Amino acid sequence: MTPLLTVTGLKLDFYGVHVLRGVDLAVPAGSFTGLIGPNGAGKSTLFNAVSGLYRPKGGTVALGSSDATGLPPEELVAAGLVRTFQLARGFPKLSVFQHLMLYGADQPGENLLAGLFGSAAARRREAELAGRAFDIARRLKLDHVLDNPVTALSGGQKKLVEIGRALMARPKILLLDEPMAGVNPSLADEIAEHLVGLNREGLTICLIEHDMALIKRLCEPVVVMAEGKTLTQGSFEEVAADIRVQEAYLGRRH
Amino acid sequence: MTLLLQALINGLMTGALIAVPAVGFSAIFAVLRYPNFAIASYATIGAFAAWWANVVLGLPIIPALVIAFAIAGTVGVVAEESALSRLRGNGALIVAIASIALNLVLENIIRFFFGNDMRGYDLPLMRDMRFGDLRIGPQQLQSLALAVVIMAAMFAFLRYTRFGKAMRAVADNPDLARLKGIDPARIAIVTVFLGAGLTGVGGVLIGLDTSIDPLTGYRVLLSVFAAAVLGGLGSIPGAVVGALALGIAEELALIAVPATYRTAVGFIAILIMLTFRPRGILGERAV
Repeated sequence: MTPLLTVTGLKLDFYGVHVLRGVDLAVPAGSFTGLIGPNGAGKSTLFNAVSGLYRPKGGTVALGSSDATGLPPEELVAAGLVRTFQLARGFPKLSVFQHLMLYGADQPGENLLAGLFGSAAARRREAELAGRAFDIARRLKLDHVLDNPVTALSGGQKKLVEIGRALMARPKILLLDEPMAGVNPSLADEIAEHLVGLNREGLTICLIEHDMALIKRLCEPVVVMAEGKTLTQGSFEEVAADIRVQEAYLGRRH
Repeated sequence: MTLLLQALINGLMTGALIAVPAVGFSAIFAVLRYPNFAIASYATIGAFAAWWANVVLGLPIIPALVIAFAIAGTVGVVAEESALSRLRGNGALIVAIASIALNLVLENIIRFFFGNDMRGYDLPLMRDMRFGDLRIGPQQLQSLALAVVIMAAMFAFLRYTRFGKAMRAVADNPDLARLKGIDPARIAIVTVFLGAGLTGVGGVLIGLDTSIDPLTGYRVLLSVFAAAVLGGLGSIPGAVVGALALGIAEELALIAVPATYRTAVGFIAILIMLTFRPRGILGERAV
């Protein structure tokens, strides 16, 4: 079966620094893939290149069997590839509800005429999206803060808004950049439970995370990146036993 | 008492004139995240464009302002795209220094065409209006009204139009905006056009009060920068508040110290602000 997301030989450099030096990654449909590696391995850069924020210098990205290399970010979102950010800043002046509504697909209000005069279809769609936003908020336990500006939320709640915003776009695959980092343990656990639930319902997830206990509990397969390349991939136990992975984290033995 | 009131009135007037280029400067900073010191020459270019329209072509002041806006905006975009945009990836400091160089180049191009002489707009001379012991120039009043209208238009644009909303989205979070299909490069061009255009209009309003020469913009650069820092770099309402505060502070200082120290007020204002509240009066984050 073709993986949902296939990255082949992806290369990217910033002013001569080779950040990605030929990354290969396959995220099987329905999987909860973990992406780990030491700081500076290029994990977030890989997400940025895959989600269209950076233009890769070489290599390909495919969604299912169709090529998605170099597509602009909004087309990738429309195609079902949605990502969250490590720094969940959002738009400081918008409320949680507005964040969710903003990333609903096919917003009728974006059409100038419909936005100005409002058509019956636009109102219906708007109501539909609002319903979805309420459902997602309830699910993520954000319903009591819907009208608060995101700046008033805790770090963990901001991460939940990021996830909620991503869900509004009806993703097929979710790229999560450290959604639990810097969040208090009980809320981090709650986020993990939400993710497991979403994955069970069929959502494919690719997760960057530094907490090995979480990776062990949630992810299969686990992909290891180091110095801009994919090092190895397999189950957590296989990867953890790999001497190259230990060297990447702890340094080479002399 | 009269002295104080007169200083307040004068301060509000000069503040309102500084506010227009300060809004342009802050808009560019908000979206592109670097201080563009070339706005000094954009102001001068606007002033000369309006002078040419007003004195050579004989147009009234409002069409001259429109021409100043268009020409300063266009020069801003061309300069940005040809000289500054390729440096953006190297950090704000590099672009800021390049903008100082760009300013010198543009300033000398103006000199090349117009020379160093002072020029005045073709405006009727009018007697100051007197209210008791207070004096207000009709010309200043007109400039004040123009500044208010222009800024109101800018606020309406940012608040209610799709483009204005897209600009604010990019300023707040460019990556998140891109996921929604907003292209920051396109927004950057429009922002520079608006920012440089506003600065050009500001140059005209400042020139209306006195006269213009190739250093017209450069002389107010510090005040514009101080106003933006005071209000909070990147905050557009902040730029207006900062400009008014600075204008009043400058005029009040004149009561106590000789006029030659006037520019020192801008420096002192920046120093005090950066020491005690680095994000400015209305700024959201420290810069």
